[in-house]
Amino acid sequence: MPAIHDTRPIEDSVPKINDELAVGSDLQFQQRWEKLESIIWIFLFIFLLLSLAGLFGRGPLSNVTAQAPDASMQVDYERFERFSTPSVLTVRVNPASIKNGQLQLWVSDSLVKPLGNQRVIPQPERSELGAGGITYTFPAFESSASIEFQMQPSAIGKSELKMRIPGNSELDLNIYVMP
Amino acid sequence: MYTLIHAVLGYLFMTLMMRILKRRPGAQLTPFEFVLVFLVGGVIILATVGDDRSITNCYGGVIAICLMHRLINRAKLKWPRFADLVDGKPIVLLANGQWQAYSMKQAHIDDNDVMAAARGKNVRNLDGIKYAVLERNGGISIIKKSS
Repeated sequence: MPAIHDTRPIEDSVPKINDELAVGSDLQFQQRWEKLESIIWIFLFIFLLLSLAGLFGRGPLSNVTAQAPDASMQVDYERFERFSTPSVLTVRVNPASIKNGQLQLWVSDSLVKPLGNQRVIPQPERSELGAGGITYTFPAFESSASIEFQMQPSAIGKSELKMRIPGNSELDLNIYVMP
Repeated sequence: MYTLIHAVLGYLFMTLMMRILKRRPGAQLTPFEFVLVFLVGGVIILATVGDDRSITNCYGGVIAICLMHRLINRAKLKWPRFADLVDGKPIVLLANGQWQAYSMKQAHIDDNDVMAAARGKNVRNLDGIKYAVLERNGGISIIKKSS
């Protein structure tokens, strides 16, 4: 293997101060950097404020209640969810929607993927796949009832979730999953 | 895959955050800065590894971070302007018996920090310093006055 003789002469490559000390400081660069730094801090501050407000989930801007056009159900959910982070969607059903001691709820399959449904409380008596979603059947008395879906989204981006009590109008929800 | 992306993003984000924190922790760790290092490290690790505690995930994250470090280092050598952005430039804090007030304020350094560095060089008081320079690694270099 040939010897490597890669050398270069010493030059005044590091700027000096007072013509005696090679420091390489640059006051102009420092001033420009200060300006850039201030702008970055402003962005970070705005990010924190938006985060507190709930624009990235878990805050007042995120918590929403939606109601089906015919008032057959109300849904409390988070409009902005976070990737792989547990959240709860609660469906409150109008007692008039309970028929023959049963409540049926159809939910589009986006509930499973990408919204990552982990658990339904109370446990449904039956779950049936079909019509682009799942129909859950719960035993119910004729009083108001709540159903809770515990979710953990598995994909980032916008997801459309549709819900319907058979024979009633559909409720469309847009859920944005943040990284 | 998410861990690798998170590790790369985490590396870039932490590089930016450490750069805009003025005093770089590492050269002069005070208890105050220890809190920063441990707390920030602890928080970022949660998002990096997620709930996957496998060796594959852990090693993947470490490799991604080391690779980023190597890439940034190569880029710094190739483009000096990029190196200035990542590491900053040395800042003169004291020159010929004059505090450089603007630079000290911007660097969040006070007389005590300079004197602490001076004591490490056996300089007994500020009169004995000709130059004090805040280096890119966060340390303060002291050039003594010639007697």
